[in-house]
Amino acid sequence: MIGCYDFCGHYEWTFEWLRQQGGDDLVHQFWDKAIGQDSQQHAAALIAEKGFSGMKEYWAHTLAEEAAGYTFAEDPGVVRIDMHECPSKGFLLLNGLEQYSDYCDHCIGWIGPMMKKAGFQIHHEHNHCGKCWWEFRRSSDSSPASDTEKLAGKNDVRLLADWATKDQQIDVFRNAAHSTDDGSPFRGRIRYSGLSGKVICKATLRAP
Amino acid sequence: MVAALMMHPLPYHDTKPVGAADFYFAINATFRFIREKLGSDALSAYWQDLGREYMAPVSHLWKVGGLPAVAEYWRAFFDAEPGAKVTVTMEKDRVLLDIQTCPAIRHLRAGGRTIDPGFCQHCYCVSEAAAEKAGFAVRVKGGNGQCQQTFSPRDQAFGPQIMENIEKAL
Repeated sequence: MIGCYDFCGHYEWTFEWLRQQGGDDLVHQFWDKAIGQDSQQHAAALIAEKGFSGMKEYWAHTLAEEAAGYTFAEDPGVVRIDMHECPSKGFLLLNGLEQYSDYCDHCIGWIGPMMKKAGFQIHHEHNHCGKCWWEFRRSSDSSPASDTEKLAGKNDVRLLADWATKDQQIDVFRNAAHSTDDGSPFRGRIRYSGLSGKVICKATLRAP
Repeated sequence: MVAALMMHPLPYHDTKPVGAADFYFAINATFRFIREKLGSDALSAYWQDLGREYMAPVSHLWKVGGLPAVAEYWRAFFDAEPGAKVTVTMEKDRVLLDIQTCPAIRHLRAGGRTIDPGFCQHCYCVSEAAAEKAGFAVRVKGGNGQCQQTFSPRDQAFGPQIMENIEKAL
């Protein structure tokens, strides 16, 4: 039997197995269909029905169950999560597991399409070391990502000394709805070096 | 830390004592996705690859520690699975798992999920692939929430696995 205790280990292993069968496109389909639409159907239903309060209800339950270190912050029209200790990536780091090129992409891979269907969009960054932040706003809201500290105060993960260190890569998503969203300044994804801020890559441009 | 991890009966170790049960939803959804996208043969291949590759450290523990390590692994494994009711018995030439409440089937039912019909076959396919590398075999009887699994040296296995002996999950 494969279990839930080491789930993140075989989940990450499965990404690479799928990539070898059908490329990254199959992995992206897996995140959307198997995780977003099937496994996490309860999250989709809750957020579609209750909006921002559904987001807080869903993540309060699931992040408590996974023993995450995180904080919520909110203002009218936006919910923010600062993840200080991602239990999922933390498990992989603890056990030295890395098969797939970017495990952290799986979150936006299923949350992005789910939020888009529910009428929300995402600003998100992850640092590949168990820290990330998210801001969820209505799709019609063109507000940029909040400045550091503005929404989360001292809990803002961007304040941490190990948020962006030498050789660390930060993936940036703006107004995103998928892990492969394009790299334009106002919609999509870039990757930059944590210390220098130098852009390392931009994802292929896609139609919004 | 490294020494402590190496001594633990579970090669992959977490900081919390039990897993998050909602991950059973993702395991079930993964099986369904692979079956629908790639077919049943690919799903069997996925399970076998998982047993041979991801579980290679488990195979190593079993190969080095023999049947006592097999028993110790499954005791620790089910202790970390929420809602499991399992008796692990070590006999002279085999280890018996009597699974009275499968934690995955229990949680999937409680969550009102449609269970992949071949869900219980994964136990045989994954464990057999992992056990083979350690010189053991597993035979499974039952399923759909309760089953018996027997681990024994490959040359003492009780005949081939009869797949019809593994019940369809509902």
